[in-house]
Formats: sequence, C-alpha cells, structure tokens
Amino acid sequence: MMEWARQSLEQVELSRPPRMEEPPLALSPAEAEKLIDEYHPDRAGKARTIHAGPCAGGQLFPLELADLLESDSPLPANFDPSIDVETDVLILGGGGAGVASALDLESSGLNVHLATKLRLGDSNTVMAEGGIQSALGPEDSPQRHYADAFVGGHGDNDPELLRILCGQGPESIRWLTGKGALFDRDPDGSFRLRAGGGTSTPRVLACRDYTGLEIMRVLRDALLTGPTNLLQNHSAVELLDNGAGRVTGAVLWDSQTGKLVTVSARAVILATGGSGQLHYQGYPTSNHFGATGDGLVLAYRQGAGLIHMDSCQYHPSGSIFPEALAGQLVTESIRSMGAHILNAQGQRFIDEMTYRDVVASAIIREAAEHRGVQTPAGKRGVWLDTPLIERKHGEGTLRRQFPGLIHRFARYDIDPAKQPVLIYPTLHYQNGGVKIDTGCRTEVDGLWAAGEVTGGLHGTNRLMGNSLLDIIVFGRRAAESVRQNLPERGEVTLSQLKKYREELNKVGHRPQTVSPQIFPLASRRKIEIADC
Amino acid sequence: MDQNQEDEIAGQISSGETVEIHLAGEPIRARAGATIAAALWEAGMGKSIQIGCGGGVCGACTVSLRFKDGRPGGTDLACMRPVEEGMEIFPFPVDSIPPVAPVREPSSEKLRKLFPTLDRCTKCGACTTACPMSIPVMDSVLRMQEDKMEAVAEDFNTCIHCGLCRAVCEDKVKPHNMGLWVRRSLGMSGDFDQLERLIDAPQNDDAKEDWQYLLSGDPQERLARAKAFRAEGKRP
Repeated sequence: MMEWARQSLEQVELSRPPRMEEPPLALSPAEAEKLIDEYHPDRAGKARTIHAGPCAGGQLFPLELADLLESDSPLPANFDPSIDVETDVLILGGGGAGVASALDLESSGLNVHLATKLRLGDSNTVMAEGGIQSALGPEDSPQRHYADAFVGGHGDNDPELLRILCGQGPESIRWLTGKGALFDRDPDGSFRLRAGGGTSTPRVLACRDYTGLEIMRVLRDALLTGPTNLLQNHSAVELLDNGAGRVTGAVLWDSQTGKLVTVSARAVILATGGSGQLHYQGYPTSNHFGATGDGLVLAYRQGAGLIHMDSCQYHPSGSIFPEALAGQLVTESIRSMGAHILNAQGQRFIDEMTYRDVVASAIIREAAEHRGVQTPAGKRGVWLDTPLIERKHGEGTLRRQFPGLIHRFARYDIDPAKQPVLIYPTLHYQNGGVKIDTGCRTEVDGLWAAGEVTGGLHGTNRLMGNSLLDIIVFGRRAAESVRQNLPERGEVTLSQLKKYREELNKVGHRPQTVSPQIFPLASRRKIEIADC
Repeated sequence: MDQNQEDEIAGQISSGETVEIHLAGEPIRARAGATIAAALWEAGMGKSIQIGCGGGVCGACTVSLRFKDGRPGGTDLACMRPVEEGMEIFPFPVDSIPPVAPVREPSSEKLRKLFPTLDRCTKCGACTTACPMSIPVMDSVLRMQEDKMEAVAEDFNTCIHCGLCRAVCEDKVKPHNMGLWVRRSLGMSGDFDQLERLIDAPQNDDAKEDWQYLLSGDPQERLARAKAFRAEGKRP
C-alpha cells in the first residue's frame, strides 16, 4: 500500500531518529501573522458583503454562504401557517447543544419539543475526537484557560462569553460524569489531561479519540429516558414570528413524508450547528451530513445579527488519503502526543502545537510551494508522523489511545502505528455565527441560540476542546435563560419572511436558489415538499 | 480554485475507473474508490440510505452486503465501505429501542434484572461478525455474565450504537444497550473528589483580581494582558 509514495516515506524513516528529540521550530508572532495572511483560506478574498438584512453592506461572508443568505424560502408562496404542534420550548438541533438544553429543561415542567434534521445525535458533536477543555490541572485556573483561548482567538472573543465558558469548565465535567460519561484517567485516578494547540498547560480531557461520541451517546441515552418530545427527521425550514419582531415558532419539514409541520412555541432555541458541508472554496470537511448552515439563514431572516462569519477553522489534520477518508479528522491529540508534521522530504516546517490557523496555513504553503506529497487522485498533502508516537511512548500506544484512527485506516491496510498518514487542512468549524448575549439571547426576542451556530465566543480561531465545552456550558445556559425569561404564546405569522423578501426585491436581488440548503450538494438531495 | 483542487479534478477525470454495484437489485455504475454512500449520491439515489455523520461514528447508514461470487458479505456502514465490483447492497436501518436508566455500582446481578435476555446468548458470534467497529461483542456479553464490568466498559469504548449486534441476535440479547448501561453506570459511580474540590473552592480575592486584570482595558490592552498572563501561567 502507498507504493506511489515509497521514496518520500523512506525519507520520513531516515529523518525520524535525528528529529526524535528535536524541539519544535520557533516561530515569531510576526512570522505567524504573515503565514496566516498569505495562506489562510479566510484571507483568500473569497468573501463578499450581502444586500439585505441586519448585516447588509457590512461584514464579509464566504461566497457560498452569502448566496444562501440572499436566497428565497422553500415555503410555497401561498403557505399559510396553521398550528400542528403547540409547545412551550422548541429546540432546533439534536447535537450536543440542543440535547444539553433539553436535559436541563426536564425539571422545568415545561413542554419541550426537540426537532432534528437527521436522527437524535447525528451531529458534529459525535465526530469530535480530541477532547474537552476544563481547568482541572494543578497549575491551571479558569483565568489561565481564558488567557489561552483569548490569545488563540486573536483577542476577537467576546470577553464575557469566554469568561463564562472557562469558569464553567469543572462544573460541566461534573455534570457530564453525573450523566455517566467516562473520561480517561491517569493511573492515580485523576482525569488525564493533555495539551492542545495553544494551551499553556495540559487541560484537555478525553475519551480516547472518541470524546464527542462518548458525550453524545451518554446525553442521547439520558434524554431518551426523559419527557422531551422528539421530532426526528424534521428540518427547520423557516422561523415564525408574531408580526412584531418576536419569534414564536417554526415550520419544519418532515423528510420522511415530505410534509410541513407548523410548531407554535413560546421560546425557540437554535442549536443547529455549523456549515462545513457548504465546502467553502471547495475544501473537504470533517463535518457531519447535516452541517449546511441552516440556522444562520433562519436567524438572519428574522433580523438576528451574525458575527465573524468570514472566520472558519480549517483543521490542520484532515486525512487526504485514501480518497474515501478525504476530509475526515485526524485528531490534534496525535500532535500533542508528539507526532511531527513533515513535507515530502521528511522535514518539519512548523511548530506542530501552535494555533490551528497557523499550522493549517503552513501546510497550505508547503503544498502550494510543491513540497507536499501528491496522491494518486492528484491531491497534495503532508505527512503526520504517527509512528513517532510509538517510538516515544512505547509500542501499542496508538492502538490504546487512538482506536478510532487505527480502525478507520485498517480498512485500507494502513497501520498508522507503522506508517505516517497524509493530511491536509479540512473545513472543521464555523468560528462565527449568530450573535448572542450572556443569556444566549439572539438580537431577536423569542430566539435563543447555543453551540456552533453562535459566534463571538471563540473569536476568530477556536482552541481544541473548547467546542465540546461550549455546547455543554451554553446549551445548559440557554435552558436556564429560557426558564427565567419565557414569553407568553404569540400568534404565528410569516411577516419577517415577507419583509425579508421585500427587502431583497427592493435592492433588485433575484434569488438563484432556495435556502436553508438542508442537504450537502454532493448528496444531490433536495427538499421536496408534499402537497399540504 | 486553487492548485490543489484543480489537481484533484484532473485526477478524478483521468482515473475514470468504474465498477458495477447493485442496490436492492438495481444495477448502478459507481466510481471506483468511492464509498457506498458517495456512490449512491452520485447515482442520484441518496434517499435510499440514511446518512448521519458520514464519518463512521453515528451508525445511521447500516447496510447488509453480499457478493454473487460467494465472497463473504456481511454488514457494514455505507459511509465507510468502498464499493467493489459485484457488490450487492441492501439498506439495513436499525431502529433504536428505549434505554434503561443506569445505576450506581453496576454488577452482573443488576444488569441481569434489567436485561433478562443476558443469559440467553448461545455464543453464535453473529453480533461480533456484524459489528462494524470490530468490537468483540460476544466475548463482552460473556464478560457481562461474569461480572467483569470494567472490561465491558473498555470493550464498548468504540461503540457507535448502530444497533447491528442487537438486530442480528436471534435470542434478543441487546449487547450495545447493555454496553452503554455498564459504561454510564460506571461513569456515575466514579470518584469525583478532584472535581468537587475545584467547584466548591471559594472564589478568592486572587481570582477576582485575575479577572479584573484580564477583562479591563481596551481590546488591544486586553490582548496584551492575556498574552502576559499566558506566558507566566498567572497574573504577572
């Protein structure tokens, strides 16, 4: 296997002994900034302003998202909402944030419906591998966690949101373990903490390289024993409002029957996640099937402001060979355990544990300047020297600590314990999103938001392990805020949608397509609405 | 379009190799090297199989497979399994069943009460064969009977709850449900002293001063302060 890369692999083998104990390459802040500026996809100029809504003419949006924000609703022109389901709280999204919200609403006595486009738990949460940050170490503190994340986010983070995130780390781990989540422990029984890119002290808890899977399966199991009403295979296609600027429900599309379902709710929590499946600039993605940015479109049409939408996280280590695994994640923990990143000549070219945007930019530069390895499919990547972990920490370490990695590649007769894997940046996380305050309230009454769909918390570059913490802290916080601020039931109208359509019309914009997109383009699936 | 993408498209066009697969009897030309899921999308048949994550960890896209030439078929995930010439694919979605709430200090005895089919296992091994994650499912069921809870938790570390082990069991044993019950039960029974101490520690003046230091000033000053804090690991 990988005969085509034999020459380069030999160079990796040859360079391994001398670089085993080498310190990471030094990189000045100015050099890092220059790398990002020249090679990070966010700086490639593939963004534009949009013509309507609260952010019109202001901030930049990736081209693919800008088109969707300016598209028309899939609802038929004559659609008139008549209530099918009446509930107190409608949660949109069945990943970690939505389920955390639902669990904390269980004791409220409120009627709660959770609608999810796919099945409960089919989400980016389940795909998160490396871990969850929480300041538990002897040298650590929430303040230190904050400082690391703030510097990593280029100081663009909302300070109050970030302070809440870091302060709630230990409590979130207690909540998760109380539900039965098992995190890896050291021989002395304390939680095992690893470093992540940009952490100044070990702070990342993990369940091998299946941390998100562990969290999601535990939360899903917990939710299923409770009172929450589930609407699986129900995509939100439009939010409803009371005619006076308050969100009062949503129209869902049942992908099994094609029917539309109108839900009246006193509060709506948006937990629809990210947008990697929009494949900005043609990048592969590590995101789940449903990550098409639906929530951004829905919130924006209601007049909710978005922030940092031109900032995306391209995870440095997406796998690039074999073809069937293209874009899928190889966890950052591999690097925190000491694996080097190497070009075709077997040389290191970047400090592997610096910030993700810097590492990704360095890999893109290496490939662009023809120092990468070309796959039979014509893609270029660089090596992640996984066998180095076995040399450093003993044989069998990868199999014990990264069973997911070993299992995925075994299908293709590749053993990462014996040979390095090829990587290239993959579209991984939506740094920006819907603006929220410290109570997870969006700029529109009646609409709360939590998790990846929101922006501001992580600034313009998120640290590893802060998104799993985000969904727990802010998912729960949204629930608390809804309990304290629950509005009365309002009528359900499409007046915000009508306004948005008029605004687009006024600026002479002719929508080319409909949004939310619901499905990745590659799937060739489209929303098909059955006759009502 | 950058060089990488141009090269990618060139590579796909130049290879152009295809194989014939069948979806529930219907023949499809599929790109060699594609996963079953990608092949079905490209054929416009995306609706035929439910996809969740597309990365082998959610268990939505279970299929059963066979080969006309007698090669062993079995079950797998459509998002992970590459197509092969002559592959026959049948969608095999598995519905979830209501969970059983975990308890502290799990044991075989408690497990047996909640999952009465535990001892019906006839050691046929179908569950182990069906598992797309290579979990030694049957062995683990035996370990459940023998009260080896820690080992069971380890076995099911990589379980994606696709449900195939339960679906293929003729004796209504529910391996993955029991596996999660054991894991959650052990998780709840853990030692949380470390956490309790940290959470209950009163916010001292030092921490308050830290926050004041980190949160005051204009954005540029805040960033400089965070950098200084980070460099020392504490307020300089």
